[in-house]
Amino acid sequence: MKPDQQIPRNALAWIIVCLFTLVAPHAGRIPLWVLAVYVFAALWRIMVYRGRWSYPGRAVKAGLIVASFAGIYFSFGSVIGLEPTVALLLTAFALKLIELAQRKDGYVLLFLGYFICITEFLFSQELPMVLYSLLNVTLLTTALVAMHRPGEDRFNRKTIRLAAVMLLQALPLMLVLFFLFPRIGPLWAVPIKSHTAKTGVSDFMKPGDISSLGKSDAVAFRAQFEGDIPEPSGLYWRGLVFSKLEEGAWRSLRYYDVPPEERRPRPVETTGESLKYQVIMEPTQQNWLYSLRYARPSSGGVMTSPEYVLFSPTELEDQRLYSVESWPEAMLELNLSPWRREVELQLPAGDNPAAHALAGELRAQAGSDEAFVDAVLARFTREAFVYRLDPPLLPQTDPVDAFLFQTRAGFCEHYAAAFVVLMRAAGVPARVVAGYQGGEVNPVNRTVIVHQFDAHAWAEVWLEGKGWVRVDPTAAVSPDRIEWGLERAMAAEGGFLSDSPLSLVRYRNIAWVNMLRLRYDAISWRWQSFVMGFDRDRQFQLMNDVLGDITVRKFLLLVFGAAVLVLVPVAWSLLRRRSAAAKRPCDLYYLQFCERMAAVGFVRAPGEAAADYAARIERAVPSIAAEVRRISGLYAELAYGARGSDPRLLGQLKAAVAAFRPGQTMRFDRDSGQAGDPRHFAR
Amino acid sequence: MRGSKRNPSAQGISDRLGRRFARWVDRRIPPARSVTLDQRRIFIFPSKVGLFFALCLLVMLVTAINYQNNMSFALTFLLATLFVVGILHTYANLSGLTLRALRATPAFPGQQSEFSIELQRGGGREHFALHLKWPDSNGSVINLADQATAQVHLRLNVGKRGWFSPGRLLLESTYPLGLLRCWTWVDLDLYALVYPRPVASPEPPGLASDRPDGAAVEVLGSDDFYGFRDYRQGDSPRQIHWKGLARGQGVQTKQYGAYASRSVWLDWEMFPGLGVEQRLSHLCYWALEFDRQAEEYGLRLPGLAIEPGLGERHRDQVLQALALYGIEARRR
Repeated sequence: MKPDQQIPRNALAWIIVCLFTLVAPHAGRIPLWVLAVYVFAALWRIMVYRGRWSYPGRAVKAGLIVASFAGIYFSFGSVIGLEPTVALLLTAFALKLIELAQRKDGYVLLFLGYFICITEFLFSQELPMVLYSLLNVTLLTTALVAMHRPGEDRFNRKTIRLAAVMLLQALPLMLVLFFLFPRIGPLWAVPIKSHTAKTGVSDFMKPGDISSLGKSDAVAFRAQFEGDIPEPSGLYWRGLVFSKLEEGAWRSLRYYDVPPEERRPRPVETTGESLKYQVIMEPTQQNWLYSLRYARPSSGGVMTSPEYVLFSPTELEDQRLYSVESWPEAMLELNLSPWRREVELQLPAGDNPAAHALAGELRAQAGSDEAFVDAVLARFTREAFVYRLDPPLLPQTDPVDAFLFQTRAGFCEHYAAAFVVLMRAAGVPARVVAGYQGGEVNPVNRTVIVHQFDAHAWAEVWLEGKGWVRVDPTAAVSPDRIEWGLERAMAAEGGFLSDSPLSLVRYRNIAWVNMLRLRYDAISWRWQSFVMGFDRDRQFQLMNDVLGDITVRKFLLLVFGAAVLVLVPVAWSLLRRRSAAAKRPCDLYYLQFCERMAAVGFVRAPGEAAADYAARIERAVPSIAAEVRRISGLYAELAYGARGSDPRLLGQLKAAVAAFRPGQTMRFDRDSGQAGDPRHFAR
Repeated sequence: MRGSKRNPSAQGISDRLGRRFARWVDRRIPPARSVTLDQRRIFIFPSKVGLFFALCLLVMLVTAINYQNNMSFALTFLLATLFVVGILHTYANLSGLTLRALRATPAFPGQQSEFSIELQRGGGREHFALHLKWPDSNGSVINLADQATAQVHLRLNVGKRGWFSPGRLLLESTYPLGLLRCWTWVDLDLYALVYPRPVASPEPPGLASDRPDGAAVEVLGSDDFYGFRDYRQGDSPRQIHWKGLARGQGVQTKQYGAYASRSVWLDWEMFPGLGVEQRLSHLCYWALEFDRQAEEYGLRLPGLAIEPGLGERHRDQVLQALALYGIEARRR
């Protein structure tokens, strides 16, 4: 092996550090045994370094590769999809370490490392992840630099400093490229995240589903309004409409449940003031998007269902930003089609007889559908119904009867479901709506942060002349829930976030903790709206603002201009140092002396020490020996001696050199042939 | 050989191109004993690793496009501009370096000569992984970080008698990222002296008659040391070999003296009827032989005579005269 192909000990150490910092963010989504492979690989390579073990043979390597493929297959059930691919990549990364022998292996390993940074972004582009990746890139670059410092065995701060400096110098030009590089659509379909759990509200609802979300403090989405933020009681974020009750669970209509002529939402007349807002949703691995009614999307790729909820044709694998305009006062579906009416009245035959009886009785007493709605709500308020996060379980058969007449304790989904059953039993079209209600207003940047514990279910009833009207039976039972959110509603019960003692939301009452949390949330909103919002439209708009009309010439000029502007200072700072390291004054005087000697034929040989040079001259030209000895003695003291900074010494050297005229003194010597051929001395 | 598979005409073209290139380099970087590297003398181009890196960047870019992932775009561009910034850093690693020819040891044909070069850094800049190599020499990698100068010794098989030129010295480095290769070819105007190949011959007649008995005679007051003998009573304590005594070699006396012999002349005319190289080879052989036996010898070549003498300097002078016989004086 050529000596310059070896990997210095220092570089090996950096590489092993990189290995672990790179795998850390992936730790949660890869099987545990992959982490074991990392430890094992590092151990093996260190033992190889110490000379105890040897590099793996070909058979062992092949065995390890096959074993990791098999391992991934058994862990994920397939090797296709983003997570198995990343896990495979990470395993290969660790295995490559074992056979890291030469510099070329190091390149493969480190470039793979850069690619692993990219895979981390496919799972999260949040600010902490980006900063962490920046650290990883710095470490990888440090390892790359360390590989090119042959013989460097000890930790050297300069290595990591150089890597960081280079990355900093690269940063401005990176920004230029980032803003200017055309954002084109995907070139081909890529593996998607198939092994990530779906989160948030699901597409069917059993009693207890929403209350389980009530225990999570994760952020569901954030919204920023252009104008004033509506009152919390007006923030009903619609996500799903459940029209079908099947086997005790409510679910929304599927595509094929709906006849073709009903698949498009009926036009809505927009009345009243509108609300404009932007929403950034956290990934849910599901399709629906949340909005206030009646919502019209202003971003591409967002569709409206016939129930007037928004959805995305693709599952939300990453955070998603969309803009919406809503008209809360607009009336939805003033004319109900016969098919729709039939769907919204359907109930499983024979279930919940007591509820049916109650509904019939109350509807008969009430003069109208509206009065009937009020009567049902009044019953929830009047009788001993309780709002609880952990209500008793309901029986499989006739659960609504059990809820209305026996347990009388439930979370929002119990009330919404019972209410809709009562409505339908009395012939009033009604349905359950699931989504979120309320949200926390961040005073720092006026965003509404909606957490999973804000998940909510309510009802919509169809009334003649009013269309679909929102009715929230929970408000009748626990008005605090609607006005103040779950935390206040659960104050007496004490169950709010009791399972997550580390949740920052739980410590909202400690002022500085809360302020930190909200400030961080505001930063993260800014970051996310920038990262996700920068798409083709934004890019086009930005360039239009900066360049006016965009021409190829202007574009190229901008790229090259920016490159020059960025690189010239870098080049200057790099190459300037050559002249900056100016010679010391004593060097200058001594060089003057050397020049004078060279003029009479005594060229100082490269690398010839001052004393040797002087001795050579003295031997050849004894007549100037005294002066030469004095000058080189002074110089040696100034340059290397303890009195180097003595200004008197420098003055003496200056005077001695100034008075030194070898040409005049030496002529006699040369005539006598002592000096000989000057060229001889040049060697 | 790489050229062996090519057809002759292609070989011709590549030779012509090679010569043209050599002339161009000669104009651009003229031979000099000391060369300071600047933009005229430094070449830079992506290395193989750099091209592989570019390929990796392409894969990253496609990933960023396909996943529409802005941070992946950002990282890809960061690495791409790192590549660009690397050009400056790689260049700076050679820039300002001064290379100086120190010396080349003389050698006999078929032996190796050691070429010594000094590298000096410009300013306070650190230089790493400097790879020096002559076309046929072993390579050497050095760092110039803690010290301002460093010497490199490269061994090279020399050719035939006369001045041997090692060609242009290749100095290259891929520091700091390995993505770019920065190099220069400098002609340090450094030549190695190649002596004639010593070839034994029967003792020429001219030599035999002049041959002294070979015994050295002690001459008092002379200070040419020539050997040791066992201590005898009466020897001056100043002449006792104390170091040898300390090493347990017994008591020995240092002998000083001079040869009271007639000088031997190695003459061009001693080998009538032989070719130039053959004569030089024989003369060389005998010069070495007399040097070994410590007998004074002089050299007489057409147009040149070296008075008889002995010692390392004298031998080198004689061998140099033999090496350069009939060879045009090279400027420096």
